[in-house]
Amino acid sequence: MGTTRIAIVDDHALVRDGLARLLALEAGFSVVGSCGDGAGALKLLAACRPDVVLLDISLPDADGLDLVGEIRRRNPETRVLMLSMHSEPEYAAEAIARGACGLVGKAASAETLVDAIRRVAAGETLPSAERLSPREREVLALVAAGRSNDEVAQELGMKRKTVDGHCGRLMEKLEIHTRAALVAYGRRIAF
Amino acid sequence: MGSIRVVLADDHALVRSGIRALLASSGVVVVAEAGDGRSLLRDVRVHRPDVALVDVSMPLLDGIEATRRIARLSPQTGVVILTMHDDASFVARARRAGARGYVLKDSAVERLLDVVRRVAAGETCLADDGEAVDEPLTSREREVLQLVVEGKKNGEIAELLHRSIHTVRNHRARLMHKLGARSAADLVAAAERLGVAVGLPGTGRG
Repeated sequence: MGTTRIAIVDDHALVRDGLARLLALEAGFSVVGSCGDGAGALKLLAACRPDVVLLDISLPDADGLDLVGEIRRRNPETRVLMLSMHSEPEYAAEAIARGACGLVGKAASAETLVDAIRRVAAGETLPSAERLSPREREVLALVAAGRSNDEVAQELGMKRKTVDGHCGRLMEKLEIHTRAALVAYGRRIAF
Repeated sequence: MGSIRVVLADDHALVRSGIRALLASSGVVVVAEAGDGRSLLRDVRVHRPDVALVDVSMPLLDGIEATRRIARLSPQTGVVILTMHDDASFVARARRAGARGYVLKDSAVERLLDVVRRVAAGETCLADDGEAVDEPLTSREREVLQLVVEGKKNGEIAELLHRSIHTVRNHRARLMHKLGARSAADLVAAAERLGVAVGLPGTGRG
C-alpha cells in the first residue's frame, strides 16, 4: 500500500502543527499541507489533492460541516475526516449525513486518530451514534433557553407528558442525568 | 542549564499529544499529562514542575481554579494558561488566580516556547490590563458550581470533595442565593457569565 497523503485544517496553530508533527512520525503517512480557515482549505485541497483531509468543525470563517459538501464536490477523491473539540456523539452523525467519513473528537488518543485515518483512507465510514430527531432538537433548544417543561409544551403545542418523554429520551441518548447538564449541553451545541 | 520540566493539562488528548510532540525537540520535557483539573493538582504535587501548562476549560476543576490552587500548593511552579479564549476577562481572571503567562492556541510554537522559558526563569509574562473581574463566589462555591453544571448529583459532588451531602446542599443553596438563581438554567447561565470553564462532558466520569 502506498503513502496516505493528509492535509490538516484547524485554526489553532499549536494544534495544527502538533497534529502535523504527530502524524508525520507515523509510518505510511505524509502530511502534505495545512491551513487555518475555510477559504484556505479549498485552495489547499485544490493544490495538494490529499487522500484524507482532517477538517476541524469550527473554523473562523466557516462551519466545517458546511464545507464538507463543497469539498466533496470539488475533490471527490479526498475523504473528509472531521475533528471536533466537542465529544457530543450526534456531531458525528451530522458530519456523516453531510458527506464526511466520520468524526474524531480531540479528546481521543493519537492512536484512535491514526486508526481512524487508516480506515477512512481504506474507504470505510466510521460508526456514529443516533442522531437527534428534529423534534428533540426543538425541545432541547427551549430547555437550554431556560424554559420549564410546561412552557415548552405550551410553545410547541404539545402535551406536558410528551415533553417529559422527549426530555427523558434526550437524556438517555445523550447519557445525561441532570437538568443542569441537559441545559449546559443544549447551550453548547448549535447546528 | 537543565531541561525545563512541564506538566501539561488539557482535556483533549490529541491536543496534549501534539503539543508534547512540538516541545520534544526543544529542551522542554513533559513530565506528566492531565485531562482534568483535579488530576492536574495531583501531578503538580507529585512532580513539582517548573511550569504547568494549563488549559482553561477542563472537567471537574477549571484551569482558573486549578491555577489558584497551584499557586498555594507549589509556589515554585509557574502557571502558563494555554487557551483558545482570546478574551480580556479570562486573561484578568487568570492573572488574578496567579498565572504568569497566557498563550493562545493559535500562537506559533516559538511563542509558546518563549513564554515557557521566561516563566521557568521566574519572569511574569502577563500584563495587568486593569480589567475588573466579577467574582462573587468563594473558591469552593465556584468548584461546586462547575460540578453542578457538569451534571453531577449532590451525592457525587460530596464524594469528590470529601464532604457530607449536607454540606454540599448548603453550598448549593448559598450559590443559588448569591447568584439569584431559581433553576438549573439560571445556574448554567451564571457559570458562563462568571467564566467557569467546564470541560468535556463525560470525560470526567467514573
